[in-house]
Amino acid sequence: MKKSGRYLYVVLAAMLLFSCVEEQDFNQYDDLSVTPTYEASVLYLEVPESAINLLPSGYSYSQDFNFDAFSEDIFADRVLEGVLTYYVENTTSKPLEIEIEFLDEAGTVLDTEQFVLGPEPTAVLQREIAYGPSGRSLNIIRNTSSISVTATNNGDNVSTSSQDDPMVTLKSSGKFTVRIKG
Amino acid sequence: MIIKRFLVITLFLAGISMHAQNKQLLYDFNEVPQALMINPGMETDFSWYAGIPALSGISFQAGSSGISVNDIFADDGLDINDKVRDRAIYGMSVRDELSGTYQLEIFSGGFRGKDPSVFYSFGLYNEGDAIGYWFRDYAILGYDGNADRLNERFDLSHLKTRGEMLNVFHFGVNKQMSKDLILGARGKLYSSIFDFNSVHNDGYFVTTEGENNIYASTLNADMELRTSGVNAIDHALDDDNVAATIIERGLFGGNLGLGVDLGFTYYLNAQTVVTGSLLDLGFIYHANDVENFTLQGEATIEGMEIILPDALVDPNQDFWQNLVDDVEEFIPFEKEYSSYVTFRPTKLYGSIRYNFGEPMQGAASCDCDYRTGGKSRNIIKYRNSIGGQLYMINRPRGPQSAITAFYQRRFGNFMTIKATYTADKFTFTNVGLGASIQAGPVNFYLMADNLLAYSNIADSNYTSFQFGLNIISWGKK
Repeated sequence: MKKSGRYLYVVLAAMLLFSCVEEQDFNQYDDLSVTPTYEASVLYLEVPESAINLLPSGYSYSQDFNFDAFSEDIFADRVLEGVLTYYVENTTSKPLEIEIEFLDEAGTVLDTEQFVLGPEPTAVLQREIAYGPSGRSLNIIRNTSSISVTATNNGDNVSTSSQDDPMVTLKSSGKFTVRIKG
Repeated sequence: MIIKRFLVITLFLAGISMHAQNKQLLYDFNEVPQALMINPGMETDFSWYAGIPALSGISFQAGSSGISVNDIFADDGLDINDKVRDRAIYGMSVRDELSGTYQLEIFSGGFRGKDPSVFYSFGLYNEGDAIGYWFRDYAILGYDGNADRLNERFDLSHLKTRGEMLNVFHFGVNKQMSKDLILGARGKLYSSIFDFNSVHNDGYFVTTEGENNIYASTLNADMELRTSGVNAIDHALDDDNVAATIIERGLFGGNLGLGVDLGFTYYLNAQTVVTGSLLDLGFIYHANDVENFTLQGEATIEGMEIILPDALVDPNQDFWQNLVDDVEEFIPFEKEYSSYVTFRPTKLYGSIRYNFGEPMQGAASCDCDYRTGGKSRNIIKYRNSIGGQLYMINRPRGPQSAITAFYQRRFGNFMTIKATYTADKFTFTNVGLGASIQAGPVNFYLMADNLLAYSNIADSNYTSFQFGLNIISWGKK
């Protein structure tokens, strides 16, 4: 019996002696940085030439649209940098001008993007606007509460493009990096 | 808020009470009464036993099949961001899990009936069990985002988790059918304290080239989280009476269920024994304090779309809010209160044991000795046993199994030691050691697992221990 007890003591002592934990540095957690980048479409504008021809020559269509995606706390508080990409295409027979304005809650213009388009045939106009450390102020994005779109017909209101389904389109997407941790 | 607390509870359980529950050291350890809990058809030679309340059976197991603390936090000079990316986010698969269990016997006892071939056992224990599989695509989406991943589907079925806390009232019967065969059964009444499960999720999130705009974002979701008792615990946290709520719900104040354990022991010959058991073949019906959440539907958006001249019909309409409303209409997040049934994680054990070495008289009382034998085989105790065991448990991603080789050594009727080697999805180097010491009527057992990992516990993928104190009588005068 004594011998058996001794075996047990030896086993337990061995477990105590040989059990250990290699040095861990839990402060590394502070260095962990989680900054995913998300992208999605933002705004799509489509104006067919038939609609343009309904309005007087030189007429400007202008409208404010509520847009809270950027000002939501979950985004505004975490955004680090990003890029807005625009693709603008004009297949109508007339020169056009499109202006995008970013407005804050009070209606103050924070940023403006202007696109001047000749009559068809034109190439797709692509523009990338960076926001953040290497671009325009992020506060523009954070404080944007609505978007104003102004489209001006700088041509006539009778001609019709020979292309199928002539229209002016503005496509846009945002690609933003947000800080989840770090 | 409820969801947040639910997550806290989930993580809490995930952190402290992981992995279900291969008790390979305790299985068929005939000297310990608690072994009856994992094979009601085990050989018994006790006249009666009584567990020391709250100390008769305490077990804890935790496992992480994909990663260890050391993998992330070792002081190795590597950038933690690289370690998290390579070893966790992209290093783990959806079959990797963080899981575990604990069991605490509140009281237990057993006695031999008027018919000495029948042994009864009973008791109450509290159990917590949780499992969470690695939600890989959610982690990638959260860690890297969806940028530059056109057409890559993020699989929503990667969220698969369940957990519960319950009290189990049980009564078991163990009968020596013949000299070679023992059968046992245990009836169980489950009193669920809380339960959560989200195991039947499906769907995806994908970004594709848009039809009109640059990108189209599509969410196709068929997701469900079912809970019972979580709301009660949440309110108890507010009212600072968690303990009272757990006790109340654990004593038939929550949801109830029924189950059964079955087991047998059969002597192939005088020294070779096969055993088997099927545990927790049962269900719980959740009707009290049920809250279920669903997210079902599909929506594709390409940003805010303004198409003239349609947009001029109502130029003051809120296009952004319309977009948000459309998404919520197509993929509604809903809460409902319908009852549901959960099945317990059923476990299967099997073993074959060969006894050898010098035979000796066991502790049981009988008009016999090891040379003549009695009505029961287990009056003869051999010094050594060697054998193999199989364990399976039913899990949300299908059965998990483990195989064990063991060696058992008896030192008179004073002490028995069992050493095991187990291979399962957590580790191939799991060596365990258990000991049962009998000092007069007092029985003490201690068992620990994965001992090789003790050289660096932080690097361990699996750990468990169990211990208990009993008073045992063999009815000897």
